[in-house]
Amino acid sequence: MMIAAIPWILLLSPLVGCVLILFFGRASKLLSSGIGIFCAGLSLLCAWFLWLKGGVVEVPSFPWVDYTSFGKQFRISIGFLLDDLSLPMLVVVTTVAFLVFIYSVGYMAQEEGYWRYFAGLCLFLFSMLGIVVAENFVMMFLFWELVGVSSYILIGHYFRRDSAADAAKQAFTVNRVGDFGFLLGILLIWLYSGTFSFNDLKGKAQVITDAAPWLLTTGLVLVFLGTVGKSAQFPLHVWLPNSMEGPTPVSSLLHAATMVAAGVYMLARIFPALSLSPIALEVVSWVGGITCFLAALMGTQQNDIKRILAYSTISQLGYMVIGISVATASTVAVFHLFTHAFFKCLLFLCAGSVIVGMHHEQDIWKMGSLKNKMPLTFIMMGIGTFALAGVPPFSGYFSKDLILEWAWIKGTPVFWFGAITIALTTFYIFRLFFVVFLGPPRSDEAKHAQESPRVMLLPMLILSILSLTVGWPFIGHFFIQPVHPEHVPLFLRFILIGFLAVGALVAYLLYAKGPLKDPIQVAVFENRFYIDNFYDWLVKEIQGRFAGICAFVDRWVVDGFVKIASGCVWLFGFCLRMLQVGNIQAYAFYFGAGILLIFFLLLSK
Amino acid sequence: MNPILLEAVLVCYAFLLLLVEAFNSRMPRRYFGWAAVVGTTVVFFMTFFVDSSKMNPEAGYYGFYAADTLAILFKRFILLVSVCVLIMAIEFAPVLVRYLPVEKPDAGSGEMYSLVLFACAGMMWMASAQNFVMIFVSVELVTITFYVMVAMMRGNRASLEAGIKFLILGAIATSLNVYGIAWIFGTLGTTELPEIGAILQSIDSSLFPSLLFGFGLIFAGISFKVAAFPFQFWVPDVYQGAPTPVTAFLSVGSKASAFVVLMRVLESMLSNSELSSKILFMLSLVAGVTILMGNLSAIPQTNFKRLLAYSSIAHAGYLLMGAASIVSGNSGPAIAYYLMAYLISNMLAFGVLLVVGKSTGSDELVHFNGLGKKSPWLATALTLAVLSLAGLPFTVGFFGKFFIFSSALQAQQFILVGIGILGIGCGFYYYLKVIRAMFWLPASKEQSISSPIEISKPYAVMLILLSISLIIFGVYPEPIFNLIP
Repeated sequence: MMIAAIPWILLLSPLVGCVLILFFGRASKLLSSGIGIFCAGLSLLCAWFLWLKGGVVEVPSFPWVDYTSFGKQFRISIGFLLDDLSLPMLVVVTTVAFLVFIYSVGYMAQEEGYWRYFAGLCLFLFSMLGIVVAENFVMMFLFWELVGVSSYILIGHYFRRDSAADAAKQAFTVNRVGDFGFLLGILLIWLYSGTFSFNDLKGKAQVITDAAPWLLTTGLVLVFLGTVGKSAQFPLHVWLPNSMEGPTPVSSLLHAATMVAAGVYMLARIFPALSLSPIALEVVSWVGGITCFLAALMGTQQNDIKRILAYSTISQLGYMVIGISVATASTVAVFHLFTHAFFKCLLFLCAGSVIVGMHHEQDIWKMGSLKNKMPLTFIMMGIGTFALAGVPPFSGYFSKDLILEWAWIKGTPVFWFGAITIALTTFYIFRLFFVVFLGPPRSDEAKHAQESPRVMLLPMLILSILSLTVGWPFIGHFFIQPVHPEHVPLFLRFILIGFLAVGALVAYLLYAKGPLKDPIQVAVFENRFYIDNFYDWLVKEIQGRFAGICAFVDRWVVDGFVKIASGCVWLFGFCLRMLQVGNIQAYAFYFGAGILLIFFLLLSK
Repeated sequence: MNPILLEAVLVCYAFLLLLVEAFNSRMPRRYFGWAAVVGTTVVFFMTFFVDSSKMNPEAGYYGFYAADTLAILFKRFILLVSVCVLIMAIEFAPVLVRYLPVEKPDAGSGEMYSLVLFACAGMMWMASAQNFVMIFVSVELVTITFYVMVAMMRGNRASLEAGIKFLILGAIATSLNVYGIAWIFGTLGTTELPEIGAILQSIDSSLFPSLLFGFGLIFAGISFKVAAFPFQFWVPDVYQGAPTPVTAFLSVGSKASAFVVLMRVLESMLSNSELSSKILFMLSLVAGVTILMGNLSAIPQTNFKRLLAYSSIAHAGYLLMGAASIVSGNSGPAIAYYLMAYLISNMLAFGVLLVVGKSTGSDELVHFNGLGKKSPWLATALTLAVLSLAGLPFTVGFFGKFFIFSSALQAQQFILVGIGILGIGCGFYYYLKVIRAMFWLPASKEQSISSPIEISKPYAVMLILLSISLIIFGVYPEPIFNLIP
C-alpha cells in the first residue's frame, strides 16, 4: 500500500506545487521558489526510490471510463506503467528538472513574473511525469497536450514582447499539427485493436499485422506524427528554435532535456508494435536522418548562442529517432536520450550563465575571450561541448556511436547522414565554443562580463560530472542496458572518429584565432533552407487567401442557408405554439385525438 | 431494515409535521421546512441500510412492492430531488406568502413542506410499484398532492389557472389509466406485472386487441405524467403558473417516477414479441414527435420558465427514445443515467431561475440580461446548467445523451437518432440564448439596479454542490454508472 502511494506522490506533488504557487506565490519570491524546489525534490526522491527499489511496481489503476459499446470495450484508466523504460526516464526527468529549478533561482532573480514562472515549471513537470508514467495512449495524449499548454505558458513568459508571444503561439500551433495525427493514429489503432493500453498493444499489434499490415503501418505513421511535432522533426521542426524566446532554463529543461524527448520516449513505448512494421520503421528512419542532417547544417550558420544549441537539439533528436528505427531494441535510442538530456541541459545552463554574464546579449559575435572572465563556465561549457561532439570518453561518444553502429549493421543509407552530421556537429559546437570563449572581446559587455552566482554554478557542476560520466558502461548501464550489435568492424570506429576530427579541425582553423566576423557565409544555411519563409508564404498567401474565400462563402452562402433554415425552424416552432391555445377544452380535445392516434397505431393491422 | 419502512417513516413524519404546524402558530414556518429537509435526508441515508431480502416474494402480500436495486436507486434519486425542492421552497416562501389571502403574514406556507413529503412518498411507492393497483394508488397520491401544490398561490391567477388545468386534464388521465387497468385485468385476470409478463409469453393472439386497447389507455395516462406528445399541452401552462419549486419537482421527480412505472410496464408487456413490435413502433413515433414538439416550440420562447417547460418535453422525448430502444438491453441504465443528469442540471437551472425570478419579480428571459455582470456566480451556475441540458461534453448531460443515443444506435433506431440530433441542434439554439442574455445583452433600463442577487447560505451550498457534481460526473461518470443495475 505504501509503495503504491509513491507513484501518486511522484506525479501529483508538482501539481500541488503549481496550485500552491498560483494561490500564494505572489506573496514572496522565496515562497514560490521554495514550494517549487520542494515539490520537484519530492518527485526526485520518489523517482530515485522507485528506481533503486527495482523491479516492476504494481500500482492499482483507476478506471476513468469503462463502457461497452457495439461489442467493443471502451476502457480508459488512469494508471502507472512503471518498468525498465519509465523508471530510468523518471530519474532523468526529475533530476534534470530539480537542477533546473535550483538554477532558475539565480537566473530569474531579476526577472518579472517570478511566481508565474515557477508555477509554469511545476505544471510542466507534472505533465511530463504524466507522459512518462502513462499506461495507455489516452492518458499519454492528455499529458502530451498538457505539456503543450505548459510549454506555451513558459515560452510566452515574456508575453509583453511580441516575438515571445508569437513563438509561443507558433510552438503551440505546430505541435497541434502533429498532435492531430497522433490522435488519429491512436483512434485508428484502437478501432482495430480495441485497446489503448501499451501492455496489450504488444499482443494486439501482431493480430492487426496478420489481418491488415497496412493498417498498423498507417496507424503507427500517424502516431509518429505526434513525435514529429513534439520532438521537432523535419518538417515540423520550425517551432523549436523560435521557442528560445523563453527564459533560458526553460529552453534547457523543455526544449532540450525533457519535453522534446517525449516524442522519442513515446516511440520507445510503442516500439514492440513499431518493430512489426518495416515500412513505418523506414519512414521513421528517413525522417530522423533528414532532420539530423538538415538541422546540423542550419546550426553551422546561426549567430545566436541559444539558436545554435536549439538546432543541435533538433539534430540530436534526429539521432534518437534513427536509433529507434535501426536497433533491435528501443534502449539504444533511450540511451542517447539519457546522455543527451544531461549534456544538452548543461550546455543550455552554461549558455544561460554566459547570457546573464553578458547582460542578456545572445549574439556570439559580440562575445569573446570569456574564458578569463568566466573560467568555471568555460570549463563546464567545454565538457558539454566535448560530450555533444562525441569526443571519447565523454558520454555523447558512447550513445551516438552506438546508434551509428546499428545503422551501419542495418546497412541503411541513413547511416551516411548520421556520419556526416558528426562532422557538422563538431564543427558548429566548436565554432560556438571558440568564438564565445577565445579570441578578442568583441563588445563592451564581453569586456566586463562576470561569473554567475553559485546557485547557478552548482547545478551546472553536477550536470558536468553527469555529462562526463553517464556514458561510461559501468555507470550508464546501471540505468539502461543498451543492446550492442555484434561484429562491428574496427574501421567503422575510425571512420566516425575521422569525421569528428575533420569537423573539429575545420572549426579550429576558422575560428580559434578569433576573427571579428564569420569568415564563411552560406545564406542557405543561415536562412534555414528558407523553410520558415516557405511556411510563412504558405500561411499568408495560400491559407490566408483560402481563409478569405471561406469567410466570404461563410458569410454570404452558408449564413444565408443557415438563416433560411433557422427561419423555417422558427416559423415551424411558432406554428406549433399556435396549438398551445391555453384553453382547456382544446387541450382535452388533443387528449382525445391523441388516444385515437394511439389506438390507431396499436390496433390497426 | 424492511424497505417498506422508508415510505412509512416518511409519511408518518409528514403527518407529524402537518399536525404540529396546524396547532402551533407561533413557530416560524421555515422551521418546518428545515425539519422536512432533515427528515428527508434521514430517510435518504436509511436507504443504504435496507435489506431487500426481507421482501420475500413467497410472503404473498408483498407481491405489489418491488425493492430491487432499480427501485432503491430511484427512491434515493427522488429523495434527493425532494431535498432540493424543500430547500427551494424555503427560499421561495416569501413569494408564496405574498399570494396567500391570509391575515397573519407567515401563515399558510407551512403545508407546502408536508405536501412535498407526501408527494415524495408517493413517488417512492411508484418506483416500487409492481402491481397495477399499486401503480394507480401511488400515482394518484402524487397527482392529487400536486393539484394542491400547483394551486398553492391562491391569490395568483396564473397559479389558480394552472391548478384547474392540471386538475381537469389530470382527471382525464386518471380515468384513462383506471379504464386501461380494468381492460387488462379483464383480459388476463391479474394486475401483477411479473405475472402479466409470464402469461403474455404464451398467449392466444385473439386476446391482443383487448390487451393493446388496455395498454394504450394506460400509456396515455403515463404519457400525461411524463409529458409526451400529444398529452403534453398542459406542461407549459402549468409549469409557468405553478410556484417555481413545484415546477422543479414536477419536471424532475414526477417525470422520473413515471418513467420507472413506464419501464416496469413495458418490461412485462414486451415479453411477447408480437405485441412488442407494435408497442415499440408506437413508442418510437411518440418519442420522435415529442422531441420535435418540445425543441421546436422552445425556440420562440421568451419566458425562461416556459422555455424550461418545453425543454422538459424535449427531454421526455429523449427518454422515450431510450425506452423505444429497449431491445438494445442498454436502455435501462441509459435512461437511469439520463434522469440523474437531468436531475442535476434541471434542479440547478430552476434553482437559479427561482432566485432571479424572486428578485426581479418575473421569469421573462429579458430579466436575465446582464446577470453575468450583476451576479457572476449565479450566471456561471446557470451557464453550466443549460450547457448540461444542451448536452455539451464535460457536463453530466453529455453522458446522458451519449448513453441514450448509443443504445438507440444499437437498437438500430436510425430515424429516431436523426430526429434526436436535429432536436439537440435546436436545443443548442435556445439554451445558448440564455447564456447570450446573461453575458452579452446589456441589462435593460428599468432593472438597472445592479446590486447582486442575495441568496441564503444553504441555498448557495445547494447550488454549488449541484454545479460541482454536474462537472465531476461530466468528466468521470463511473460512480453513477456503477450504481445503476
